Parts: sequence; C-alpha cells; structure tokens
Amino acid sequence: MLRAILLKEWLKLRWALLGLALLHVGMLAYLFLSLRHQFQVEHSEMIWYWAFELRRLPYDQLMFLPALTGAVIAVAQFTPEMIGGRFRLSLHLPVRGDVLVWTWVVFGAGLGLVLSVLDAAGLYGIMRLFFPREAAVSAVLTALPWLLGGWVAYFGTTLALLEPAAPRRLVYLALGLAFLGLLYLHRGYQEYDRILPALAAASLLFIPAVILPAHRYRHRS
Amino acid sequence: MQTAVSSTAAQPSSGATPSALAAESTTGSASAIEVQHLAHRYGSRVIYDDLNFTVPAERVVALLGKNGVGKTTLIRLLMGYLKPSGGQCRVLGEPSHALSPATRARIGLLFEGHLAYDFMSIAEIERFYRPFFRRWRRELFYDLVDRLELPRDHKIAHMSCGQRSQVVLGLIFAQDPDLMILDDYSMGLDAGYRRLFLDYLKRYLDQGGKTVFVTSHVVQDMEALVDEVIFLKRGGAVLQLPLAAFREGFRCFAFEQDGSAPPQPDAVIENVDLHGREPLLYTFATREQLTEHLREHWPQVQLGDERAMTLEDAFIGLTGKY
Repeated sequence: MLRAILLKEWLKLRWALLGLALLHVGMLAYLFLSLRHQFQVEHSEMIWYWAFELRRLPYDQLMFLPALTGAVIAVAQFTPEMIGGRFRLSLHLPVRGDVLVWTWVVFGAGLGLVLSVLDAAGLYGIMRLFFPREAAVSAVLTALPWLLGGWVAYFGTTLALLEPAAPRRLVYLALGLAFLGLLYLHRGYQEYDRILPALAAASLLFIPAVILPAHRYRHRS
Repeated sequence: MQTAVSSTAAQPSSGATPSALAAESTTGSASAIEVQHLAHRYGSRVIYDDLNFTVPAERVVALLGKNGVGKTTLIRLLMGYLKPSGGQCRVLGEPSHALSPATRARIGLLFEGHLAYDFMSIAEIERFYRPFFRRWRRELFYDLVDRLELPRDHKIAHMSCGQRSQVVLGLIFAQDPDLMILDDYSMGLDAGYRRLFLDYLKRYLDQGGKTVFVTSHVVQDMEALVDEVIFLKRGGAVLQLPLAAFREGFRCFAFEQDGSAPPQPDAVIENVDLHGREPLLYTFATREQLTEHLREHWPQVQLGDERAMTLEDAFIGLTGKY
C-alpha cells in the first residue's frame, strides 16, 4: 500500500524533479564558472577583500533556489490533487487520512532534502576549490537558513493548496511568507548560527499542521 | 389523505397514496445506508431540512431528482466529504463522517464527472489502486478497459470523457465492493457503453450480497436495473418506493376543462402539465378516486383517458418539467 502511495507521488513529481535537478546542477555549475572567472580576472587578494572584508557573499546566486524548489515541489505534488477535487479520491482510499497526507509530505520534503544536500555538498565542494576549508564550512553554515527556507516554502505552499477555505489559504500564505522573510534578513556570514536551531524547531510545527487543512477538506460544512 | 411527498420515506399508510406504495418497500431488512433527520444548507439556502430514508442491503436503489435538488450533495454527505448541519448518515453501519479504512474498502465510489487521476496511464492507475483492495479483480478492469483498444501506457488525460469513464468504472468493478455508490454514472457515456456498463453491473449483482445506490439523468436505464427509487425534490421532500409499485401506482390522465383556472397539485393530484399538446394530470390515485376528488374540488375538469407512460414520462410527471 505504501508503495502505491509513493508511486502516485513519484508520477506527479518526476518531471518537476528532473527539471529541478537540472536547475540545481545548472546553478552550481554557474557558481563554479562564476568563481573561476573572478579568480581569472581578479587578484585573489581582491576577491578575499570583497568576500571577507566587505562581506559580499560570492555564492548568493543560490539564495532563493531552495525556496523556489520547495514551492515547485508542493505545486507539482498538490495541484493535481486539488484540481476538480481529486483529493476526494485519495481520501476515499482505505488508508488513514493522516497517514496518507504525512506520507505525501515525507516524500515531497524528502525530495527537497535530497536537493538541499546536493546544494550544500556542491557549495562546499566548489568553495573548497577556491577557498580554505574554513571558508567552505562557513559558506554552508551561511546557506543553512536558505535551505530551511526550502522547507518553509514547501510546507507553506502545501498548506495553502490543501486548505479548502480561501481566507485560511491567504493566512497560510502570509504565515509562510513571513517565516521566509525571517530567514532572509542577513547580509553577511553565519548570522543565523545562534537562532537557526530555534527557527528549525519552529518549522517542525508544519508537520502536524498539515493535517488540519486535510481534515477541514474532508469534513467541510 | 397524507401529503403526496413527504420528507420521510417508507411510512406505512392506507389507500392509494405514495406512502401506501412506499410501505411495500423492504422494511426490516438490514440497511446499507441509513439517513436520519438529515439537514444541510449552503448559507441560507436549505437543501434538506429533515431527510430520512434507508437503502436496504442487497438492493439497487436509484436516487432521482431534477438538477439542483441536492443529489450530489447527498452523495458527498454520505461519503463524509461534507458535514451535515444536523441529523446523521450511516453507511455500512458506520457514521458517514468517520468511515474506517476497512469500510471504505467495501465501498466503490464513483464521483460525479468520472473523477480520476488523469496524470496516470491505464496501467499505472491499475497498479496504483490494486494494493489497496484485498479482493481486487484485475481481469475485470482490463476486460472493460481493453475494449477501448488503447495501449496500456495511454494517459487518462488524453482520453475522451467516455473513455475516461470506462477506466473509472473498470476500477470500481475491479474493487469488487459490497456497496457501490454511483453519482451520475451515465455522464458522457454513449448508449452502447451504457448498456455494456449495465450488463457488467447486473453480473456484479448476480454475485449476491451487493448493494447499489445510483443517481443518473438517464432515467430509462433505471427501469431494468433498480429495485427501488427515491425521488428527491427541492427542499428535501423525498418519496421512496419500489420501482414496480411506482410503475403500477403512478398514473397519467388527459383532461379537459372549461376556461377557468386549471387544477393545481394537492393531496391527490401530484402534478399538472399544461405545456404539452394536451393537458395532463398525474396522480397516485385510481381513476375512481381521482374522479371523486375532481368532482369535489375541481368540478370544471373533465377527466379523459389514462395515458401510458415510460419511466422517464413518469419521472417527469412526478417531478415536473421545470
């Protein structure tokens, strides 16, 4: 039964996933080429000055990529369920509704996580080619709020899509955007190191919250 | 005499009234569906106020009514997709808003418009549904769907409405449910496929122990299929009776009148149709009862011959054209 649930999610997501994988690989390739180009046309001292004295992030092309990814996965996964009320088909399956919805989000969020790991590993590897290890580690730590943004964008979009009542949908969107805004306030390196665990813990509340719109969808009055 | 159509079905009574005919409905047998004091409204618009009926187990029951009387709403309530304003529905013994997965597995549900995961192909949708149903009958699905002569990797999204319906109905048959709830199964089907579907449905019923609750706009299909009919009217008035009793007891008479006002529906006259070539009057009363009633209340009316009716004629006669 679990395999059947996952099969449907895979069928919905496979092309979006392929597109996103190409986009992520393309963005990492662009980052690599961009850094290589800078090191070819500038003195390395100048790049060091820009990056670590002026605190310009040489990898900020990746900033919104995880959030975009989260939103795209949610749209690809849940729009087909909501068109024409197909969610009813799923809710009639002989499986508990909460288990069903959690399986969906584990699958969707899991794919987002895989792409986030790819981003983090790619960022570390590319930075390591041009900078010392400490700078590469710092780059990943600096990018962690962006990666958390992917999680927030995924769940915020999921909540808004599953919710049957338009006013609540707007509330979910506003909450998601506000949370995302919190994650993009920094201008330098590792500014979220101390607050990020608390923000990550708060973002875990999305997991139980996703049941609420599904329940409301099932038992609309 | 009781009102011709009440919100409570199957109440025994005496005389040639719908209620008396309804009393011939199977009472006392186990119910697949029970609707008690159901109330539902959209905003200020009341759909039902106090709806009561049962669908006996192992029977085929058709829910008939004109557009907008709340047939689809009722199906949604029965499957727990809507929360009623009042009253309750029980399906296979469980409250409709809290059906267990095991009970849902026993219910084959056709959504209006033959709703399906149209991003899947024929083979994918069969592969998806199969593990959920213990009694899955793959051969039934492909027996129906292979008639389309489409490759199994053909996407449902690329099918015509009729082809898609064939896939969806195939899935429901393959599920081998104890209770089928079919919301307007005939939508988009051509006459040939409707007949084929009815043949399959009869074969499914021949297994025994199966219940079907069906809505359809193709009333003539019901004639050879259903045991009982439930007529739903605006505001939730409902009349449930065996189809044979309805066919036997519901009558149509031509009539003539002088220039004064035509007769109006009342306790004996179900409906008056003045739109056709000749004015018609519909009733559950016998000619003698109706003649007596007209003499007393509508003396200007001269009753003519009784007219033969198809089931569709009778349905329109009862529910009205407009």
